[in-house]
Amino acid sequence: MAYHPRENWDPRLRKRVYTRRDFLQRAALLGVALPALPSLLAACAERDAETGTELAIGSPSNPVQQPLFEDNPAIESGLPDEEGPLQLYNWADYINQDAVVAASAALGVEIEITTFFNEEEAIQKLSSGEVQFDVWFPTSQVVPKSVAGQLLQPLNLEYIPNLEQYVWPSLANPYYDQGSRYTVPYVLYSTGIAWRIDQVDSADIEGQPNAYEVFWNEKYAGITGLYDSYTDAVAMALFRNGIADPSVATEAEVTAAADSLIELVDLMNIRYTIDGAYVQIPEGRMGLHQAWSGDIINSQYYFPEDEDPTVIRYAWPARIEGTTVNGAISSDTMAIPFGAQRPVLAHKFLDFMLDEANALLNFEWLGYQPPQVGINADLLITDGWVPDFLEPGIVREEDFELDTAWVQGQLDLATETLWADQWNRVKSGG
Amino acid sequence: MPTNLQAGESDAVGQRRWVWPAFALPGVVWLMLLFLVPFYAIFAVAMGRTDPIFNRPVPEWNPIYWDPSSFSRVFRDLFGGQLGTIAVRTIIYVAVASLLCLLIGYPVAYFVSRRSGRWRGLWLLLILAPFWINYLMRMMAWINLLSPDAQVDQVFFLFGLDPPSWLAGHPFVVILGLVYGYIPFLILPLFGALDRIDERTLEAAKDLGASPVRTFWRVTLPLSKQGILAGVVIIMLPMFGDYYTPNLLSGSPRTVMMGNTIDQFINQTNSQGGTGAALTIILMMFVAVLMAYYLVTINRATKEARE
Repeated sequence: MAYHPRENWDPRLRKRVYTRRDFLQRAALLGVALPALPSLLAACAERDAETGTELAIGSPSNPVQQPLFEDNPAIESGLPDEEGPLQLYNWADYINQDAVVAASAALGVEIEITTFFNEEEAIQKLSSGEVQFDVWFPTSQVVPKSVAGQLLQPLNLEYIPNLEQYVWPSLANPYYDQGSRYTVPYVLYSTGIAWRIDQVDSADIEGQPNAYEVFWNEKYAGITGLYDSYTDAVAMALFRNGIADPSVATEAEVTAAADSLIELVDLMNIRYTIDGAYVQIPEGRMGLHQAWSGDIINSQYYFPEDEDPTVIRYAWPARIEGTTVNGAISSDTMAIPFGAQRPVLAHKFLDFMLDEANALLNFEWLGYQPPQVGINADLLITDGWVPDFLEPGIVREEDFELDTAWVQGQLDLATETLWADQWNRVKSGG
Repeated sequence: MPTNLQAGESDAVGQRRWVWPAFALPGVVWLMLLFLVPFYAIFAVAMGRTDPIFNRPVPEWNPIYWDPSSFSRVFRDLFGGQLGTIAVRTIIYVAVASLLCLLIGYPVAYFVSRRSGRWRGLWLLLILAPFWINYLMRMMAWINLLSPDAQVDQVFFLFGLDPPSWLAGHPFVVILGLVYGYIPFLILPLFGALDRIDERTLEAAKDLGASPVRTFWRVTLPLSKQGILAGVVIIMLPMFGDYYTPNLLSGSPRTVMMGNTIDQFINQTNSQGGTGAALTIILMMFVAVLMAYYLVTINRATKEARE
């Protein structure tokens, strides 16, 4: 068989030899063909979308009891302790090691901690059934889906007398889990605004009817940040735009909130961080940042030695006098995963952590406030746990009842998807 | 007709032919598994559905039920949406960073391979030293160096200059971070290529009257082309997927790269995990095109050298 020289066939190899021109021609053809692919691929889809599952999502005005399942009962009372080690599954740096050591001594077992980076990762691992932990620390926002997906086992409150003895009544029987069937509260936090008074004028925040406007104040361009978390950032933009309850915001309102956040890219050169409030503000890399109250109470320990921590301030817009906007407040919980190997020890660990003295020991290092009745604002200020200038970072039981408080719960799945879509638009710069 | 002895020799030759490939077999199987299984898993996630309780992606292992809507979404956004802007930005960042790596790395590799004399070992050691420290740690060190009033600012102050806010979301800081992080990976293959150039070839060029500059352009540079290509491909592949450099040194949506978007889809907005997996595969295909170009070029050069 003969080959024409222009065909670029190498008769010795009986193979086509590709030149650079061939390569570029094919790349160009691929580029032309790719835009047509979406319609071709969409035409291939054949299965109908699955229907969603009803989740027991409550609100303070509509408390819910989480369902029980026959094949997932609570443990019996009076069972003996299992052998250790007790396995905790927690966020990184979210428990005082001294409290862990004290719990280990009190329970007579070793305690091992495995950490997760975010709740998506934790839920994925727990639902795979490949990992088994005895205690998990979920936020209250994921309790309904964790119960529906049977990631948690019901609690036997006879093992946890400290819940009723020490915890705020409103959180001993919380709206998201009436009767504390699956969870006990761990810590609380509000989501507000942190700033350095040497970089930001406090008058632009305190006393303002819409304190969130400071994030759109060009004076602070280049030193402003928000949390790299879509629930926090989108909720803040919704508040700023005058929406009182983000969980029922319409698609148009969420889209407008995302547009407002996109505006910040050019206006403020906004940056999205996770450590902006407690690390970058103390180091002077940020002057203004969205902040969880626990982060900001802890931030005083992150200042360089020669820096003055009294320059930091915090405000929760929901509690600013004359405010026209709402603010988010929430709590994290402790729970026992389904299939935990040491459920009795796990119950006793939960009870240990709810003891007032142990909760205070944990707070001492963590900065996130526990909901024990005795650990009130007066104690935190007078005993020096929280400095005067960070007093707005203290969460009070009545804060959850404020008309301007949005008690952050789980979003329904359609809303969650809408927020996620819009957040991806925000993070891509519009 | 072969004798018995000849048949025995033939058998021995046949057995020997399989001995050396057999040594490679376990490694090849291992690498195939490490590629094929994760690839199929990512593809199954991209073609899967969303869990109705947890709102997170569920892989669809059975091809009969594959749903390509994630790919549709990504393609739509790549050609006319924000993903397209991010893709172009990523290509520009990677191209500029690779070019800078080459401009900085080539003279270094040339010096170490041909001019460093008895200090050659030390220079190589210094080039390799950054490998001993984790990439993430090196980037975090840069955060401290670039912080307001830190060491880099102090240098500017010495000359009476006003430094920019390095960490305030500037593209050039991200590009410099990429250059710093990946340049050793370019220098090493380049060093190897330059080191292999026969000194007599250069002497021949000089004997024929070529100036040092002409010798470099006509002899050294063409002979080091394979090293340049190998080095550039080696640094470009991880740069395309890099997400922690923009995260750590910027954090601004202005500097988001493809890796950040994939991270965003998969780790933050879990309901979009399928889209993240589809984007991962498309990025992989794009990078595979670069790799194919590299392999074709190498293959052709090898054949030319043999002839």
